[in-house]
Amino acid sequence: MPDGSPVPSDRSMAKILVVDDDSEILGLVARFLRSNAFEVLTARNGAEMAASLQQARIDLIVLDLMLPGANGLDLCRNLRRTSAVPVIMLTAKGDEIDRIIGLEVGADDYLAKPFNPRELLARISAVLRRTQAHAPDTAAGTQRLVRFAGWRLDTTKRELTDPRGVIVDLSTGEYDLLIAFLDAPHRILSRDFLMDATRARTQEAFDRSIDVQISRLRRKIEVGQEMIKTVRGAGYMFTPDVTRGPA
Amino acid sequence: MSVGAPPGARLRALLDGLAARTIFVVLIGIGAVHLISLWTYRHALSQQAELAGDTRLADQLLGMKRAVMREPPAAREAVAHDLSGGPLEAHWSQTEHATPGGPGAGHWQGLAERLRQAAPELGEDGLVIGANRRNPDDPHLAIISMKLPDGTWLNVSLVSTSPHPADGHGTLLSTTLMALGAVLVSVVLVRWLTRPLTAFAAAAKDFSGSAAPVTVREEGPREVRALAAAFNEMQRRIFRLVEDRTQALAAVSHDLKTPITRLRLRAEEIADPTLRGAIADDLGEMERMLDQTLAYLRGERTDEAMQPVDLVAVLATICGDLSDAGAVVTLEGNRSAVLEGRRLSLKRAFGNIIENAVKYGGSAEVAVSGKGDTIEVTIADRGPGIAPEDRDRALAPFVRLEPSRNQATGGFGLGLTIAKTIMTGHGGTLELSNRAEGGLLVTVRLPTDAVAAS
Repeated sequence: MPDGSPVPSDRSMAKILVVDDDSEILGLVARFLRSNAFEVLTARNGAEMAASLQQARIDLIVLDLMLPGANGLDLCRNLRRTSAVPVIMLTAKGDEIDRIIGLEVGADDYLAKPFNPRELLARISAVLRRTQAHAPDTAAGTQRLVRFAGWRLDTTKRELTDPRGVIVDLSTGEYDLLIAFLDAPHRILSRDFLMDATRARTQEAFDRSIDVQISRLRRKIEVGQEMIKTVRGAGYMFTPDVTRGPA
Repeated sequence: MSVGAPPGARLRALLDGLAARTIFVVLIGIGAVHLISLWTYRHALSQQAELAGDTRLADQLLGMKRAVMREPPAAREAVAHDLSGGPLEAHWSQTEHATPGGPGAGHWQGLAERLRQAAPELGEDGLVIGANRRNPDDPHLAIISMKLPDGTWLNVSLVSTSPHPADGHGTLLSTTLMALGAVLVSVVLVRWLTRPLTAFAAAAKDFSGSAAPVTVREEGPREVRALAAAFNEMQRRIFRLVEDRTQALAAVSHDLKTPITRLRLRAEEIADPTLRGAIADDLGEMERMLDQTLAYLRGERTDEAMQPVDLVAVLATICGDLSDAGAVVTLEGNRSAVLEGRRLSLKRAFGNIIENAVKYGGSAEVAVSGKGDTIEVTIADRGPGIAPEDRDRALAPFVRLEPSRNQATGGFGLGLTIAKTIMTGHGGTLELSNRAEGGLLVTVRLPTDAVAAS
């Protein structure tokens, strides 16, 4: 993987607040994010976090779930009452249930320790891009259910359900691709745009052409009904209507 | 029981149960006592009867002797004839008819002794008991010849009768009743004593060490109560031990995540991309090991709910990700296979199996087919397979079949163990076999409705 991947302009100098009680990790994450052109503030607990939030306009918070005193879940829940600032939750627990709880209290994404730093970078970029695209009408924590053609995507659980109520598993790439389509239905999306959208999350260099990803997604969601239309020479278009609602 | 087993083994097999043993011992014991006392009683009874018989015979003979003595010689034979009756037949004669010795000599000699004792007057003039002179070979026919004071003889022929009445039926009946009683008492007794033991056996069989132990009730005889208490205490100790170990292992695995996170961040600062990549790979392997260990320790304790899941979509995700990573993986069969299940658990289970196939077999051919309310998934590879004798071990935790295998393949040998546990938790099965053309074949069968199937 090449060192220092190019930084998209939309996130340059975004201000990230990192909250973790392990000062080693705190320093390392801060240094890593700074080297990737973010402005970084740090906090070791809830009080320091509150102070930082008052001092500066924060674009995104990376919050450790296990904090002394008030834990990350409480902090996130309290934060959500006053602010829509995006939150990425970090935890040492890999259990699915923690992820769901984390997302339910209003976190925008979740990363289990030990995380790959590049994955953190990708998630930060994705969350920033998504919240900037949908702000303010889809404030985090409210518009978590996306419906299309009888299907339902729960972005909290990252669970896709077909019209029969059967869960259809998606790979990370397919999920990101679907999210990109659901964000822009009836619009032609170029291969480059889609490539960027799926690459944002998966850290591995993606040799697979976007066409392979598209065909895999189609095989899973197109049962007797075309949803992803190929537009020759231009890219792809998601044809069903998309509605959003609270979970 | 096998043919040709030694008699000892056959007896042991017959007396395998506690009930059978108790019945055997009680039957032998009570039976022996019963028969000995029966024999003693009968012996005493027959002795008494013999004595009474001898006395009566002596009295009869004495009566005959006196009556015949009183008569003149001409009338004697007639009187003797009149007095005959029953087993006795009397004749008067000038000479004795009896001759000592002969086949029943011992017996008649004894009788003579007893008669003399019973009635001394009988032998005053002379008494001969012996075989009939005319028929000396018959041991049952004896002649008692009594000499009268005038030198003539009174001969009484005696048919020897058995003093013991035939009463075999009584013995048989009492013995049978005794045996039945013994069996009945033994069965009740054994049932009463062993009911707690059966509960122990059931509790011991159910005890897994990972689930909370089911205590046995502390009741019954004192020894059994003590055993129950000790058993329960042992269960608790084992459970605590397993819990403690599990928690310790989980805690270590869990705590290792923080240093690995730090290492990952530090590795990002390494300028040399080759070194950075190698360290990232090592860390990735450590992470997978921790992940598998925690998944194994968690076992079936999952928070995921059963929901309708399309298994083919799950398999497609796994196969897609693996082929993106450069593996040779194919997926064939049904386009959709819906079952009640836990999506993430199933993904982990099949992920482990398919990754194993790729890792040890070079490639994976996955096929899905629906058969009634069962979904069958086969995962075949082209590797060396697993020898039949190693198949159980392959499913055991922390077993890696080839110790020499390059550590770079990673893992603790938990992959198939976790997969099997998850399949079992879904009411399904996981079987290993070798393909005829070489390579391992993993066959998973899952019910479409695990709740209804279980």
